[in-house]
Amino acid sequence: MAPTSTPKDSELRVTLRQWLERESVFRVLPLLPVQLLILSLLAVPFLLTIYISLLRWRITRGFWTAAPWGGVTNFVEALTDEDFLYAVLRTFVFAGFAVAFELLIGFGLALLTYREFRGRRVYLTVFLIPMMIIPVVVGYDFSMLLVDTGPLNSVLSVLTGQDVRIRWMSDYRTAQVAVVLADIWQWTPLTFLIFVSGLSALPPEPIKAARVMGATRGQVFRHVQLPLLKPVIVIAVVIRAMEALKIFDMPMLLTQGGPGNATETLSIFLWRNAWVFNKISYAAAASLLVLVLFSGVIFLSIWLLKRERAQLEEVRP
Amino acid sequence: MRRGRVAAGLRHAVLGAWVLVVLFPVFWMVLTSFKDAGDWVSWPTRWAPFVDFEPTLLNYRQIFYIGGTTQSGELRREAAEQAYVIWKGMADSVVIVTIASVASLLLGSALAYAISRFRTGGRNYPYTILTIRMLPPIVVAIPMLIYYTSIPELFANLGGARVEFFDTYSGLILLYIATTLPYVIWMMLAFIDEVPRELEHAARLMGAGRLSTIGKVVFPLVASGMTVTLLFVFILNWSEFLLALTLSQPKVLTLPVLLNKFQSAVEGRLYGPQAAIGTVVTIPVVILGFLIQKHLVKGFSFGMIRR
Repeated sequence: MAPTSTPKDSELRVTLRQWLERESVFRVLPLLPVQLLILSLLAVPFLLTIYISLLRWRITRGFWTAAPWGGVTNFVEALTDEDFLYAVLRTFVFAGFAVAFELLIGFGLALLTYREFRGRRVYLTVFLIPMMIIPVVVGYDFSMLLVDTGPLNSVLSVLTGQDVRIRWMSDYRTAQVAVVLADIWQWTPLTFLIFVSGLSALPPEPIKAARVMGATRGQVFRHVQLPLLKPVIVIAVVIRAMEALKIFDMPMLLTQGGPGNATETLSIFLWRNAWVFNKISYAAAASLLVLVLFSGVIFLSIWLLKRERAQLEEVRP
Repeated sequence: MRRGRVAAGLRHAVLGAWVLVVLFPVFWMVLTSFKDAGDWVSWPTRWAPFVDFEPTLLNYRQIFYIGGTTQSGELRREAAEQAYVIWKGMADSVVIVTIASVASLLLGSALAYAISRFRTGGRNYPYTILTIRMLPPIVVAIPMLIYYTSIPELFANLGGARVEFFDTYSGLILLYIATTLPYVIWMMLAFIDEVPRELEHAARLMGAGRLSTIGKVVFPLVASGMTVTLLFVFILNWSEFLLALTLSQPKVLTLPVLLNKFQSAVEGRLYGPQAAIGTVVTIPVVILGFLIQKHLVKGFSFGMIRR
């Protein structure tokens, strides 16, 4: 491989080419930039965050090298901060409701559309639209729908025959419902899509066999289709739950976490502390606690995904 | 036979109801984008263009404002006039999203190939990468804020040049590459796994090196997969809000951040121009989305559900 003392341009290109043709190069080379990026962009800041979380630093008070040492006070403060604990609870409740409805509606719609019938393509196409609209626009769009002189109240007025003037964003309960509704509207298409492809990918033989042996449609569904569909269902739950727990865009655009902090999810809570109150050290400590909490969730998710993926591979021819 | 027809009718009724639910917010946004100030939130609601209200292109003219004097009769909107111009946000979004998506595609595809053929990084490596995507972005954003704002202070005069990542193109691009890599790697794994190894063996037996084998055998077979992956990642980056909100502004301003800027305004929100921005931002994504409709499941499920 050693090039000659003064290689010409073309020779250099040839040696580079030869080098790239070698077997071992593609084994390692692609890993390097990715690892470098991850280390410098995620690992280093992470270590820095641990250090900052032990200080008492606000971004308005100069650079952090001059900030006083705080020890674990930030962590203690976070763990006794009601706002923080409620934000955790709220996030999980929101995600729970949103994902449950998305799964139910998505599954119902998928059952109605996975087989061929007239007009099926149109439904499939229309149903996907919400998922393609970007979350910020959905949040903004719903904030407009829910104005007290807005179209939703207008429709409700027509339906009930009374003058409906619900102030959606002023009441904490309706504001919470609105955030969950927006999430359901946007992401039901995804669960729907996953279930449609899952249902139409089921092998036809066991279903036919069961029908021949005299099973009713309901029995086939419960004892043949549903068990075969389990990996797909689990994957849908995991993917949606992971995304729903991050929820930020909708409450941010709809309510900014309000009224009060009725729709303050974890992401909004951390954002407020870091960017509105400038309590960087506190936010860093709280986000490390969130990280610990999430690492449990992530670990479980990965384990589930791994298991179900292996099952899918088995079924696949 | 009659039972079948009733069932079919019922099916269409349920699906039709959901179509209404899906289309209503979209319809409302597009409708509002053609309304002038007085019609935005008037009660009773103005539904029908030309009947209830006179449609106008004012909002679109406002966001695509180029220069010169505006039309007369818009005095009350004069103050917010400049703020709604969309060109800067559009340029920032296009530059950042395009560079980040292409870079992510190239890095991720190469690595996916190595993982598929050599198990580079070990059996669990793809799952390790997946954890990046599962972290809530806010938990990444806080360290990044500290990191990005510290870099210029720590390396103040490194070689005379000032290194800036906060509120710059490069800062966001690097982050977008890192956060979309899991998707690229998993989607491309699904596509590359489908290329039969026998083809590569045959090429190698005929004396082709690894690079030529990839270029002449593998690449043509996964090129369409790479296009799908690129578009998918493009949509993700185009929609990204949290990181852009927290780590850029005011110098770099992507479209989602631009849209948010006026949301918290207390004194009378300007629904019309916002609806126009929302519509304009949405159109390219919906088009791209339908182009890769068949592969959306593969994308969102990290290639685990493959059809």
